[in-house]
Amino acid sequence: MIQLKSILNVIDNSGAILAECIRVAHGGRYGRIGDQITVVIQKARPINTSTTGSGATASTTAAKIAIRRGEVRKALVVRTRKETRRADGRYIRFDDNACVLLNNRGEPLGTRILGVVAAELRGKKWGKVISLAPKVV
Amino acid sequence: MRLEKCYFCSSTIYPGHGTMFVRNDSKVFRFCRSKCNAAFKHKRNPRKVRWTKAFRKAAGKEMTIDSTFEFEKRRNVPVRYDRELVTTTVKALKRVTEIRAKRERVFYKNRMAGNKEREKAEFISEVQRNIELVQAPSTKIKTQVSKILEKKTQKQLQEQDMEVDG
Repeated sequence: MIQLKSILNVIDNSGAILAECIRVAHGGRYGRIGDQITVVIQKARPINTSTTGSGATASTTAAKIAIRRGEVRKALVVRTRKETRRADGRYIRFDDNACVLLNNRGEPLGTRILGVVAAELRGKKWGKVISLAPKVV
Repeated sequence: MRLEKCYFCSSTIYPGHGTMFVRNDSKVFRFCRSKCNAAFKHKRNPRKVRWTKAFRKAAGKEMTIDSTFEFEKRRNVPVRYDRELVTTTVKALKRVTEIRAKRERVFYKNRMAGNKEREKAEFISEVQRNIELVQAPSTKIKTQVSKILEKKTQKQLQEQDMEVDG
């Protein structure tokens, strides 16, 4: 149940830590696992100026885009505290609401995902996220 | 389809039942019903809640050490499908449950052995402690009988009065 103002943990290595939902992409009321949302970064890892500065710009900026607080980004919901129904009738619930940042083409921004990810993503063209995740439940 | 065990009460969870909770360290907790889920949310310890299997086993109320339990275990070894093997396992399952039931009956009998004598001794000691409360049965009955008789005579008298009035 991700809606306007929901705060999600960002579980990839993009540099963001917390993100606030400002829109659910499909236009419905709530975003669920596998839904795309738009977020504002509320908390980000401090950007190390020595690496992103003038000296090493060519190598690092190409590989990684620095995420700052207040930026608007696309994201994908990968865990929800609200239980979701599986095809076999069981329900699955997670500890927190979490997302992964996406670029404008809908690909994950980070190169790694830290933490569990729901298996619901598999049926929804998010195979890339599934393959990055260390564990899928 | 796999039959899972409930994290709280250890009962079997059939497909389509129960909920699953995944902690952030990716440990999975399965619950057979909302009762067990709620107990987990209340942070109850299954070993301390009397109706769970964990409690019964911890308190020595159920057989815990037995070779028949070795069969029902998660084996992370893939086995190639073999018709023969399946039939023999199904056959063995029946036999194993039979044996386990028999052993459980023996366990229960042993657990309950001596209960009757103990209870009897307790009753006797209680009676002896409070012997002053016990009335001789004969006198008790006599008083009861006299009371009933009195009631009867009173009723008859009342009826006679009614007849006279009528």
